[in-house]
Amino acid sequence: MFNRISTTLLSLIVMTFFNTSNAQMHHHASNGGIEITDPWVRSAPPNAPALGLFMQIHNHSDNDVKLKSVHTAGYGRIELHRTIESDGMMKMVRQDFMPIAAHNQLTLKPGSWHVMLIDPEKVPSMGEVVNIQLNFDNGMQKNIDAKVRKGKMMHHNMHKQQHKH
Amino acid sequence: MLKKILIIIGILAVGFLLLNTNNTDYKHLAKDLKSSHILFNKDKPLIDFDLVDHNNKAFNKDSLKGHWSLLFFGYTHCPDVCPTGLMDMAQLKMILSEKGITPPEVVFVTFDARRDTPEVLKSYIAYFDKDFVGVTGDQNSINRIIKPFGAYYENVISIDGVSAILKSGQEIPENINNYLINHTAWIYLINPDGEIFAGFPTPHKVKNMADDIELIVDQF
Repeated sequence: MFNRISTTLLSLIVMTFFNTSNAQMHHHASNGGIEITDPWVRSAPPNAPALGLFMQIHNHSDNDVKLKSVHTAGYGRIELHRTIESDGMMKMVRQDFMPIAAHNQLTLKPGSWHVMLIDPEKVPSMGEVVNIQLNFDNGMQKNIDAKVRKGKMMHHNMHKQQHKH
Repeated sequence: MLKKILIIIGILAVGFLLLNTNNTDYKHLAKDLKSSHILFNKDKPLIDFDLVDHNNKAFNKDSLKGHWSLLFFGYTHCPDVCPTGLMDMAQLKMILSEKGITPPEVVFVTFDARRDTPEVLKSYIAYFDKDFVGVTGDQNSINRIIKPFGAYYENVISIDGVSAILKSGQEIPENINNYLINHTAWIYLINPDGEIFAGFPTPHKVKNMADDIELIVDQF
C-alpha cells in the first residue's frame, strides 16, 4: 500500500515537473520565437520621398503573430504596405498589420510586402545603418539594424568583394 | 457552288493579308521573344506630344528618333515598383553594353506632374544612371501620351485614414499631397523612328529583356 502511494506521488511529482518545464519552454518560445534576418533599406536618391525597408521575419513559436508597427527616427510617417498586381496595375495597398503564421516566415521584398519609410529628414546613404524597432501584437519589440544597400545583386557583389579581402 | 467560291476567296484573302503583313509588322519575331510582346503597328503611328525633360528642354516625338529608347511611366513618390524598374534599367544597360550592343536611351515619364517637376526628376533620375532622361509636363499632356501605350493609372488619396481612388483626369484636392498612384508598369521599346515597337510586362527579367532587345535590334 505504502509502495503504491509513494509510486503515485513520485509519478505526480515527475509529471508536474515535466509539465512545468514544458510550459516554461513554450512560454520561452512564444516570447522569443521571432527572428529577423537580412534587414535592409533600399538606397534611394537624395530627394527620394519614400524608401523601402525589407527583411525576413521568422516565427519559430507555436502562435501566429502580427507585425503591427515599425518605428525609426527621422521619418514623417512609416506604413506597412504590400504591392499587388490587380486590374493590370501595380497597386500599393496599405496594411494594418503583417501576418506571420506559427512556424512560418514572411519575406518582405521589392514587389511584395514592404515597410514604407516616408518623408525622410535625410535620405540615408549607401552602407549606412538604420536602427529600426518592430512592434508585434503579442507585445514583443525587436530592435534591428538595417543596412542601406542597392538590392540583392549589389549585396552579393559586396559579399564577394568582402571575401576577397 | 457560291458557298465554295466564297470560302476560296476568303482563304485567299486571309493568305494575302498574312503574306503582306508578316514581315512588316514583326509579329514573326514573337516565337523567339522571351519576355516581350511586339506592339508595333504601322497603321497607328505614335501621336506627337509636348513635354519637357529634367533639364527643362522640350521633349517630344522627335526626341525619340534616331536611336532606340526604353520608356516607362512612374512617379518619384513610388517606393517600390518605380525604383525597382529604374534599377533594372541600369542593370539592363550594363548587360547590353557587355554584349556589345548600344543600350537604348532610358526615358522615365512621370504620371505625377504636380510633384515631379523637372528639378525633382533631375536629382532623382541621375541617382540611377547619369544618362537616364526624366520627362514631365502638363498633366493633360501626360494623360494623352500614356493612352497609345495602353498605360493607365489611378490616384489613391487618404482622408482621415480612409482611402479613396481617383481615376485619371479627376483632380486631387489641393490640400492633399500624400497621395499614392496605382499604375501599369510595362516598359516599352521605341524604335529609331520614334514608334512603339515592343512592350515588357512585369516582372522584368533583365537578362531575358537584353536577349529580346538584341534580337529585335538585329532584325529591325
